[in-house]
Amino acid sequence: MKRFILKRVASMVVTLWLLSTIVFMVVNVLPGNVARKVLGGQALEEDVIRLNARLGTDKPLLEQYWTSIRRIFTLSFGDSYKSQVPVSDIIFPALGRSAKLALLAFIITIPLSIAAGIYAARRQDKPIDRAIVTVGLSTSAIPEFVTATVLLVVFAVKLNLGKVYANPPDGVGLFGQLEYLLLPALAMSIAYFGYIARMTRAGVIGALHADFTRTAVMKGLSQGQVMRRHVLRNAMAPTIVVISTSVGYLIGGIVGVEKVFNYAGLGQTMLDAVNKSDIPVLQGAVLLVGIIYMVSTLLADLFIAYLNPRVRLEKSR
Amino acid sequence: MSATQPTTSGLSERKQARRENWRLIVRRPAFIVGVAIVLFWVICALFPDFIAPHHPLDYRTGKHLPPGWGHLFGTDSTGRDVLSRVVAGARDVLRIAPAAAILGVFFGVILGLLQGYLGGWVDLLASRIVEAFLSLPVVLVGLLAITTLGRSNVVVIGVVAVLFTPIVARTVRAAVLAERELDYVTSAKLRGESKAFIMFREILPNVSGPIIVELTVRMGYAVFTVATLSFLGAGPPPPSPDWGVQVSDTYNNLIADFWWPTFFPAMAIASLVIAVSLIADSVQSVLEAS
Amino acid sequence: MSKNAPTTLGSNPTKLQPALSVEDLEVVYTVRGVDRAVLRGVSFSVAPGEAYGLVGESGCGKSTTAYAALRYLPSNGKIVGGHVRVGGRDLTEMTDDELQQFRAHEASMVYQDPSQALNPTLRVGKQIIESFTLLGHDNATAATMAVEALKKVRIADPTRVMDRYPFQLSGGMQQRVVIAMALACNPTLLVLDEPTTGLDATVEAEVLDLVRVLRQESDAAVLLIAHNLGIIRGLCDRVGVMYAGRIVEEGPSAQVFDDPRHPYTVGLLRSLPRHGVRKTERALATIPGILPLIGSDLPTCVYVDRCPIATDLCRTTMPPVVPVGNKGDRFTLCHHPDQIAAIEEPAVSVNISVLAPSDENPGVLELSHVSKTFKQRNLSIPALVDVELDLAVGETLGIVGESGSGKSTLAKAILGIEAADSGGSVSLDGRVVMASTVGRTADDKRSMQMIFQNPDSALNRSWSVRHILTRSVEKLTNIKGDAANQRVEQLAEHLRLTPRHLDLKPRQLSGGLKQRVAIARAFAGDPRIVVCDEPTSALDVSVQAAILNLLADLQTEQKTSYVFITHDMGVVRYLADRIAVMYLGRIQEIGPTDDVFNGPNHPYTEALLSAIPSVDGEIVTRIRLEGEIPSPANPPSGCVFHPRCPRVIPGVCEVTEPPLREVSPGHAMRCHIPVAELIELQRKPSK
Repeated sequence: MKRFILKRVASMVVTLWLLSTIVFMVVNVLPGNVARKVLGGQALEEDVIRLNARLGTDKPLLEQYWTSIRRIFTLSFGDSYKSQVPVSDIIFPALGRSAKLALLAFIITIPLSIAAGIYAARRQDKPIDRAIVTVGLSTSAIPEFVTATVLLVVFAVKLNLGKVYANPPDGVGLFGQLEYLLLPALAMSIAYFGYIARMTRAGVIGALHADFTRTAVMKGLSQGQVMRRHVLRNAMAPTIVVISTSVGYLIGGIVGVEKVFNYAGLGQTMLDAVNKSDIPVLQGAVLLVGIIYMVSTLLADLFIAYLNPRVRLEKSR
Repeated sequence: MSATQPTTSGLSERKQARRENWRLIVRRPAFIVGVAIVLFWVICALFPDFIAPHHPLDYRTGKHLPPGWGHLFGTDSTGRDVLSRVVAGARDVLRIAPAAAILGVFFGVILGLLQGYLGGWVDLLASRIVEAFLSLPVVLVGLLAITTLGRSNVVVIGVVAVLFTPIVARTVRAAVLAERELDYVTSAKLRGESKAFIMFREILPNVSGPIIVELTVRMGYAVFTVATLSFLGAGPPPPSPDWGVQVSDTYNNLIADFWWPTFFPAMAIASLVIAVSLIADSVQSVLEAS
Repeated sequence: MSKNAPTTLGSNPTKLQPALSVEDLEVVYTVRGVDRAVLRGVSFSVAPGEAYGLVGESGCGKSTTAYAALRYLPSNGKIVGGHVRVGGRDLTEMTDDELQQFRAHEASMVYQDPSQALNPTLRVGKQIIESFTLLGHDNATAATMAVEALKKVRIADPTRVMDRYPFQLSGGMQQRVVIAMALACNPTLLVLDEPTTGLDATVEAEVLDLVRVLRQESDAAVLLIAHNLGIIRGLCDRVGVMYAGRIVEEGPSAQVFDDPRHPYTVGLLRSLPRHGVRKTERALATIPGILPLIGSDLPTCVYVDRCPIATDLCRTTMPPVVPVGNKGDRFTLCHHPDQIAAIEEPAVSVNISVLAPSDENPGVLELSHVSKTFKQRNLSIPALVDVELDLAVGETLGIVGESGSGKSTLAKAILGIEAADSGGSVSLDGRVVMASTVGRTADDKRSMQMIFQNPDSALNRSWSVRHILTRSVEKLTNIKGDAANQRVEQLAEHLRLTPRHLDLKPRQLSGGLKQRVAIARAFAGDPRIVVCDEPTSALDVSVQAAILNLLADLQTEQKTSYVFITHDMGVVRYLADRIAVMYLGRIQEIGPTDDVFNGPNHPYTEALLSAIPSVDGEIVTRIRLEGEIPSPANPPSGCVFHPRCPRVIPGVCEVTEPPLREVSPGHAMRCHIPVAELIELQRKPSK
């Protein structure tokens, strides 16, 4: 097991390095004067030179590359080009807000979608199964910002339920915050629901058709016992993989939803950084997302290894 | 419990069975609905003047007129007819999304074949890069790249294609890994075929099923991604009637109860992605069942 | 559908109330909205304590019958007629709850693939205990009973096994666990569906021995499904022969197999290489035509299209149930049981038998010190150790052995698919060739080709037969264009493929035809040597017979040499001129076929030979092997067979590995025991 974890962490480090290289290449693909871009055409040449020196953007490209690599492993991403406060002071609070939103979406979706997936699998090819599959397929195909817009029109504008802006005023308690976050979370849940439900359904159907399920039925176990003791235990693994890798999916969706609801989360922060060419903030945020994704897949792999004795025992040798 | 073996005498029956399969998908309500909606938007994109009552940039007298007989979908903040803009907006997405999906699948197939068949360090390196790519939301990387490369349809196509390449490659690689273990590949090696021949002539036709499925699924995601990118500001610049741009331009007025300039383009996006994914699902269930 | 079912005749002779009685059972599968008949009125009964076997080729409905006997059908299958009664209760009328109770208390099943039948995520113990708690025992009692159950299936260390996960057990152990679970409820009915298919011969023999013993300890009615007739004969009191969803002949196993009274049974038995028949004596019988597709309309005799003695009567009227003998325990479903003797045996087909290379008969292939070591992480796994072989022109060398014996690696090393370790050499016509296929000349490649086990995998499914053959002709012979087309057509004709077959894709062909295409491909460049890797093990016996005949014919005409890998001792005896027996990557014994079958033998060969379930019913003293086949990664010291050898000499065998020693001309083995002693030990009991 220890060997397995070490191997996975090592491969994560390699992937992170590759990721930061890709990001570095993308943002540096066009040579240009960073400070000039930040300050605009009218700025004085000496201000531009001073800012470049402060940002380190006057250094040779290779040195800048080295700096950007060092930053991911220390999680300090330098200062924002725009506001000149440390990037971590911007992205971590934003991350906290996004996490709140994502967590709420997660809590709404996971139990519902897993239940729907299992229910559909047990009634494979019956009308209710087709309905769940088709609805799930459709909702997960719609971009989150579209769902968010429609929810906003129908609930916040027409029915006056929920808030148009997701940012709660200062001093609002937990339940008050929920009221603000409910619509955007729902927008994410709707897309997410179909995805998880379909994956769960596929996993359960796979286990239902396995030979060991036949053995369990032939033993004379009741349907419930077969499901609980044999089918679900084996169907868990693929579902967990999907849930863990869907962290990226959630974050992708969160950008649009945050924009629609004007929520100051990580997505909005990234959009702002894009619009203002605030490269350090953008780099920091992107890498942060990458790290979160990788850690969550690592955790999922460990959990699967824990569930599957084959992985657990063989990798430990 | 093996079923009967395919036999020559059962040949005509088998061919009929395949035709029957296609008849079954063509008859599926999901497939029909999907194709009808896509066809509608294709017609809109080809002949906007024929469908739309006005020019998409034509400023009418009334601003923010609610939906009614004069303007079915109302008018926007500058008095343009929303229906006409929605119809005209189909053009960009229907050009960009398929192009991006096809390109992405093309490169993904090549990469996946190389990875799966050659294996070794080629596979190892490519897998790492793919994993790095996949650890970021597609929309995010797209945004990043478009900001640096500038806004244009070509850039959007290129970026989406590049982002889809590793995803397609992963699917193709898995299919190739299963294929290369089969004895026909050994047999090809025994008669001295080159690696390129084995990859492209022997293996490629046998992984066409997953590739077709991947292509239809990618079409759906391409519409999704392109719409989202233009909503986030990486699409064509504002006077454009592109749906994502329209939503992005108008959603700030929602609070004033001007819901129609935002709602209708949003529904247009929803209808197109749902239609494409209904088609993709029909194709997938048929190809994976046979 | 006719209702003239043999319910009265099929009842068992002991006159007890049958434990299982299947009456005129009809099952359909719904395919694309159309109901297709799979079982067309199947009737039989099994008494308590009796074992009943169902045989037949794939697609005949025997597995469907087995599952229907427990009312477990795929979602598209349904019982549309007849009854299944167990202990007098009708399964077809049970509610779901009753069915569940029935399965828990009265019936059990053992499956074909034990590795899939156990839940991979639960410890073995938990799964067995579950079988007992289900019967109402508390956990502690169930645990004790589970230990007892494992002891009963001869697992020496039950508590340790219970702590394992299924994948940590060998196939044989997994099947014992499944059997232990099946016996938990002391069932009235025990259904075994191909319980040893996929297991190694010595393991298979062990499992069958176990079933035989357990049968005596319980009074369960046993329904055994097997495609291997030898297993049925060895285990079952009575047998039913199935064809196209009907039982066409039924009776005591020995009688049916020794004196068949239905043309299909005759065809099935004659297509097997029996009674030690060799290719030099006669060709194997084949059954022309193919099994009707499920759901075909068969208003008369189901076998009429393939029957050599069919008359107009057979084509118009459903045959009656004809009793055989006067004991009332046998019947056949045939209009002309008296004509059975008129079915002709095939004539002699092959007249050559070549022995090892000699001065008059030069060797075509020679392997010298060939080894192959696989590297896995920091382990090195010797899959092939110092193999010495030669092969004469036109000779067939059979290679037999169980899993891990290295027989497939040997094939790959000869062909260069896996390059052998440096230090050894593969020579073709006295000239050393490169170890890897890539390095070999075009002529080397042409000279050595391969026929694979599974034609579905061996043929590119998106190519037409013509494309497959043309490509091989062009690549191997350098003939192009029209000449190549001509050669393809000649080749096809030679292999009895019609021009129509050339334009089909592999999936449109039957298994036998696919294998013909694969053979044609191997012969595209007139090869000197063809390596055949289990070429008939995926095929039904009647198809196997046709393929073996074809291979023998081709060899006679073209003087091709075969390296023939198989686990089927009957097949290898029929086809091979010499046999090499492999164990853990080493040749343990090699010699002319007759010498290997007559002995004296290496103790491993002895065990292997005694493990064959014989359809001829010869009484053999089983040599029981202890333990399991060791991992090639970690071979035992000295003689690699010593930990399992029943004739081990302590102090010798575990110390030094015996050399390959000649015991008679051309017959050699690796054993420390002197020949004279082996002969004495292995003296066959006089018949």
